[in-house]
Amino acid sequence: MNHTQQSEPIQGAVMVIGGGIAGIQSALDMANSGFYVYMVEKSPGIGGVMAQLDKTFPTNDCSM
Amino acid sequence: MVQNENFEPRIIAFMCNWCTYGAADLAGVSRLSYPPNIRPVRVMCSATVSPHHLLRALQEGADGVLVGG
Amino acid sequence: MLTLSEVTDISGEEGNLQVKVLQHPRFVDMDKCIACGTCAEKCPKKVEDQYNAGLMKRKAIYVPYSQTVPLKYAIDKDNCIYFQKGKCRACEKFCPAGAINFEDTEKELDLKVGSVIMAPGFTSFDPSSQDTYGYAALPNVVTSLEFERILSATGPFMGHLSRPSDKSEPKKIAWFQCVGSRDMNRCDNGYCSSVCCMYAVKQTLIAKEHSDVDLDCTVFFMDMRTHGKDFDRYYEHAQEEGIRFIRSRVHSAEPVPGTDDVLVTYVDERGHQEREIFHMVVLSTGLEIDEHVVALSQRLGIELDPYHFVQSDTFHPVATSVSGIYACGAFTGPKDIPQSVMEASAAACAATQPLAVSRNTQTKTVEIPAEKDVTREPPKIGVFVCNCGINIGGVIRVPEVAEFAGTLPHVVYVEENLFTCSQDTQDKMTAVIQEQGLNRVVVAACTPRTHEELFQETLINAGLNKYLFEMANIRNHDSWVHANDPDAATQKAKDLVRMAVAKAGLLSPLHQTDLPVHQSALVVGAGVAGMTAALSLAQQGYPVHLVEKSGTFGGNALQLHRAYQGEDVSAYVKKLTDEVSAHDRITVYPESTIQGVDGFIGNFTTEIQTPDTTETIAHGVAILATGAREYKPDEYLYGSHKAVLTHSEMDRLFMNDDPRLKAAQNVVFIQCVGSRDETHPYCSKVCCTHSVESALELKRRNPDINVYVLYRDMRTYGKREDLYREARKAGILFVRYALQEKPKISDSGDQVRVVFRDPILDRELAVEADFLCLATAIVSYHDQTLAQFFKVPMDADGWFLEAHQKLRPVDFANDGVFLCGMNHYPKPLDESIAQAQAAASRALTVLAMDTINVGGVVCHIDPDLCAGCLACMNVCPYGAISEDKEKNVAEVNEALCKGCGACAATCPCEAAILMGFNNQEIYAQIKGALAA
Repeated sequence: MNHTQQSEPIQGAVMVIGGGIAGIQSALDMANSGFYVYMVEKSPGIGGVMAQLDKTFPTNDCSM
Repeated sequence: MVQNENFEPRIIAFMCNWCTYGAADLAGVSRLSYPPNIRPVRVMCSATVSPHHLLRALQEGADGVLVGG
Repeated sequence: MLTLSEVTDISGEEGNLQVKVLQHPRFVDMDKCIACGTCAEKCPKKVEDQYNAGLMKRKAIYVPYSQTVPLKYAIDKDNCIYFQKGKCRACEKFCPAGAINFEDTEKELDLKVGSVIMAPGFTSFDPSSQDTYGYAALPNVVTSLEFERILSATGPFMGHLSRPSDKSEPKKIAWFQCVGSRDMNRCDNGYCSSVCCMYAVKQTLIAKEHSDVDLDCTVFFMDMRTHGKDFDRYYEHAQEEGIRFIRSRVHSAEPVPGTDDVLVTYVDERGHQEREIFHMVVLSTGLEIDEHVVALSQRLGIELDPYHFVQSDTFHPVATSVSGIYACGAFTGPKDIPQSVMEASAAACAATQPLAVSRNTQTKTVEIPAEKDVTREPPKIGVFVCNCGINIGGVIRVPEVAEFAGTLPHVVYVEENLFTCSQDTQDKMTAVIQEQGLNRVVVAACTPRTHEELFQETLINAGLNKYLFEMANIRNHDSWVHANDPDAATQKAKDLVRMAVAKAGLLSPLHQTDLPVHQSALVVGAGVAGMTAALSLAQQGYPVHLVEKSGTFGGNALQLHRAYQGEDVSAYVKKLTDEVSAHDRITVYPESTIQGVDGFIGNFTTEIQTPDTTETIAHGVAILATGAREYKPDEYLYGSHKAVLTHSEMDRLFMNDDPRLKAAQNVVFIQCVGSRDETHPYCSKVCCTHSVESALELKRRNPDINVYVLYRDMRTYGKREDLYREARKAGILFVRYALQEKPKISDSGDQVRVVFRDPILDRELAVEADFLCLATAIVSYHDQTLAQFFKVPMDADGWFLEAHQKLRPVDFANDGVFLCGMNHYPKPLDESIAQAQAAASRALTVLAMDTINVGGVVCHIDPDLCAGCLACMNVCPYGAISEDKEKNVAEVNEALCKGCGACAATCPCEAAILMGFNNQEIYAQIKGALAA
């Protein structure tokens, strides 16, 4: 591994900006594949616009 | 079967963990109000509720059974 | 998770980035807040609720919505009376947990990460400035997001369809499409927002469902862009349901004097001006990037396109111009939920690829104490009854319930807590379990859906199997819903505790076993999607077997000239093929097919037939990237006249620089050949853009050429709309035809004669075309054998069916198997590549594990009781049950079982049981419920 030569090791942490459906999915995938994830969300809670939707196509599931 | 005006049915409700049980939780969070006659039994899917369960509930004296899923 | 936070700066290099984060104060201690809601109830200040699009009020101390994660209140400083006027602090006085902290301050954090993904989402276009639609002036003109809230059961009208002005139920609603999209005049949003056609169709159908009358729904649109999977079927269903779709451009929405109704003036396709009155109007507003996001991007040096979306290229759909910063979701271009989820996974894959050497270096593992064997002990149950501040104790007489619990069989310990879930109670509970020798625990508090895991962890810490636990939900199902009847609520709480104790006495420890994961992948199909997935996994450090049935790699992309942003496809395919072939972690199997698959997630074995031999490989995951093919039509003289081509054939002419192209005077394109008809009732998604690209290419090569595009709806969605605009500017003629009146083609020597009706002029036109290019459908290979091998479903059109159309777009219900590319649905290259990276990302979540945990709440079939009828096998939705042919009994594969218990209900012998929910346990609960 060449990376040991570098002064600073490659970080094993990542950051996701935005806690909507896309941000949540990215964060989950990375956490589940061995990386520490910081999620930064501007509002008090995550969920984004999808949480505002009533129901979604095609099954008309509620979007919670 | 109904004896008198004060009859209060006792209802066993089989609630799917992923929907009905969650909906009942949300009813609480939303501070809705409903009669206190229901006794919920949490199940992991309404598909697991068999006729045996329904009959057992009635045998034990339930006046009604609700399956939510 | 850092809420109320924003990134202010990022510096450093990919692999080592320093990020500055500004965290705004919440004024509520997250560790103490129990989300009881007392503060919001007491808070005297009402504020416009953004979650409900301003249609409702919330308080100055609030959670955005009742399912918010984290479910912790926050004070909105700008609206708090204390912060604005110096007095109040009502929330502080009433908070039972002492969680309010007015001294909370802003914090600056310096964090070190390897890479960053930007998923800042979008804002809905604000139509206030467009006075022709009357949004600012007319209360019954609402945006689509407001309408979502109106339809929602948690919205301002509790899901009753009502219009804002007088709360009356509208009987006639109009939707205006393309508000803030495809519009360079009234705003600068030249792009198509991609999602509005579909959500408008959805809203019409749901509004109809919510309505007590036969609701009249009308959609005013330009092109109906329902290009996604199953979207066209939904659109057709809406037409059958009587939704009116009017191809038009709306001129204005004005008040109707003396009423709250809206007068809509529009111009129909033939240029006639029409007027109609509606009770309500919904503006299908487009997607925009928030100005704060634009400012942050500029600060970070991320290149944006003129519409403020990330400038990304077709082959790197989630990369930005700054190395180490990736983007996904609506930020890279307007898109729907499944596409956003796909890109999110793709970004996760791309962002961690350079960090693969540091996998698992910063994640934490927890020490677990040894588990005590309790199987030979009689039940010793401890019951913890929670007051939840006043949430339970304010209604239910908790001491009475606790005393009652002490009288129940096997209960040896009872305790009352103010907050059973608090950290100090957990520590105490651990000690009590050990001191008292408890072997079953019941917590009477809130809901297991949010708190079961927390208490189970406490059991684990105390050395108990986590399944020796049961909750009685005396808050959500009791004190909160029977607040006005304390006697009945107390009685119900006793019953719930009796039920829980009765079940707890019968609980037995459940075990989970660890199965090793084969940390390698199989990818089937070496088109661009398959190669991208294979390369992503290999670069992340895992061996990949790549199987391709043909002798060449590249699939359909080999036939493509350019991608929609002008990139050279063949050069990219060559580079990709070289990288794949050279990678030492990728084993390629050209001219090979799959002969059989066995096993389950983490442990598959697959037989591969190569030209010389049969090989059996072990792998932990599989990605199906088998593609689709171009449809060869049997109409429009295709195959019998040399002037009639498909797209791939025309691209071949471009690639060969065929001299006939320059000589051509007239070229006609016909859209939807084999798409959106009876045989293929779906949109092939790529053909509109392809035709526009090719038309422009023809114009570039010969500016004098006449190009006609005969279409049904132009579906140049998202940023592709720019190409369509450019094409019209370049003089390419677009003429709509109806399915009932297809263009007629006849042989005319070297040319073909194309006759079609122009709906605007309302007359028939004829063109002698040197080339007729048919935009033919993309069709499935219908590979049933492969589907059966991997136990994955296929829909009626032959597309593989993902686990969830919105939220799990690259997963199959069968764990460990993923899909990408055109076997999922027709899609352009950039989306195929994103989906391939997404499939790799999902596969990584499996490959990164050394072992997978199976067992717990799963089904078990007792072979001594099983009669071998196999009824269970037929009802299992997960294919987890198989037949042991030797013993003639059914068997559950714990790795596949999801614990639904359908088999248990079906089994006539009660041989199948759902662990943790067996019949005896449920009977005990029933008995307990009715014992009073």
